[in-house]
Amino acid sequence: MSAMIYDEPYKLPAGILALAVHSAFFLLLYFGIHWQAQPPQGMVVDIWNSLPEINPPAQVAPPQAAPVAPPPPVIKPVELPKRIEPLRPALPPKVDIALADKKKPPVKSSAPKLIEPAPPAMPPRENRAALEAQLAAMQAAQSAQAEQARIRAEQAALIGKIVNEHIAKIVAKIRRNIVLPPDVPDNALAEFDVTLLPGGSVLNAKLSKPSGDAAYDNAVERAILKAQPLPLPSDVALFGQFRELHLKFSPKE
Amino acid sequence: MEVSHDLSFIPLIQNASVLVQLVMGLLLLVSLMSWWYIFLKMFTVRLAVKQSKVFEEEFWNNSDLNQLYREVAAAHQDAGSMGRIFAAGFAEFIKLKKKQGVDNSAVLEGTRRAMRATYQREMDNLEAHLSFLASVGSVSPYVGLFGTVWGIMNAFRSLSNVGQATLAHVAPGIAEALIATAMGLFAAIPAVVAYNRYAHDVGRLSSRFESFMEEFSNVLQRQP
Repeated sequence: MSAMIYDEPYKLPAGILALAVHSAFFLLLYFGIHWQAQPPQGMVVDIWNSLPEINPPAQVAPPQAAPVAPPPPVIKPVELPKRIEPLRPALPPKVDIALADKKKPPVKSSAPKLIEPAPPAMPPRENRAALEAQLAAMQAAQSAQAEQARIRAEQAALIGKIVNEHIAKIVAKIRRNIVLPPDVPDNALAEFDVTLLPGGSVLNAKLSKPSGDAAYDNAVERAILKAQPLPLPSDVALFGQFRELHLKFSPKE
Repeated sequence: MEVSHDLSFIPLIQNASVLVQLVMGLLLLVSLMSWWYIFLKMFTVRLAVKQSKVFEEEFWNNSDLNQLYREVAAAHQDAGSMGRIFAAGFAEFIKLKKKQGVDNSAVLEGTRRAMRATYQREMDNLEAHLSFLASVGSVSPYVGLFGTVWGIMNAFRSLSNVGQATLAHVAPGIAEALIATAMGLFAAIPAVVAYNRYAHDVGRLSSRFESFMEEFSNVLQRQP
């Protein structure tokens, strides 16, 4: 009587459940785990001693873009007294008259004829005075800018010197750490993009142009990492010049 | 040579060597099957326990064995293992009773034999696939380990071409090889747990069936 092989009613639901378990597990693996550990992007913090670095760029811009308007308020008080002295004494009375005349009309409405000639005569003089003032202001601004540009150029040259010096130091330190593999061709030239952190540690050293000799590339990369901390100038404000370095290495030197 | 490898999930499997991929495929298949059996067994065992309970209650509350037999025979498939054991025993008992010249102990002996045969069949049905779960539990870690060892061997072999070895050269190979072990364990752990669980459940059911058979034999012996 009981020769039947019991057909199991649960085959389908069991199969579906098994598939569900696996797909759930797969999804967990796929979305739940970050397989690639991203190297920490590094909190790059600039340390400023003071704020002067913010001003130069602001001053560089006006000469090309802005008209005469912005500079005068800055430089007028300093430069004007010396250069425009001869003009100055003449100016005040004229301006005063003009002002007085302008004040009069509203008050003396009964005698407009007396003051009639005055208004036409005054405007040109007033204009001239204003023009001269403007001219003087422009000249002052230009000379001040030239002075600033000179100072800036000097500073830039100084900074460039320091930067070059330290880049040379960095390259030298790395070079000391290179363990030269055998049979490296003399003309091999490996170029690296090195990202630095303040303090001289290397965040990332990326081979930007292989030399063609993989062993040499590797040796240089190891040397870069081994040379940490790289020598940086003591002036923290200059670090911006060192954050991204493009360095070339060749076994010949 | 490039240092940064993509270590995300899918490329890791795609980059594995053919043998490791085969091992992974096998393990995935085995894992699917074992989970299928796990759920299948879960439903069947649960149903068998429920049906046995219902039948036992019915059996002890019902004094008329003939009527119970008719009910069980009518609902054959749904009667459950214990019901089928009862039906086989009772049918044999009736047949032997009708025969003249068979003494009482021989009738009981025949009845027991009939019940035992059905009992064996039921147990066989309940225990089906349990051995599969057991072998998955014990073998698939080794299969996964095999895939891993093979993958690591390859990783180290490719290392010999590189003059200076860094961890970055070996890491991806080892990572993709270890996936095989992970899959083996993923297949094995549930299988072992399920096997132990169901073996225990089936063992309890079997002792329940046996005690029922004894009790039923007693009841039949008291029968006029």
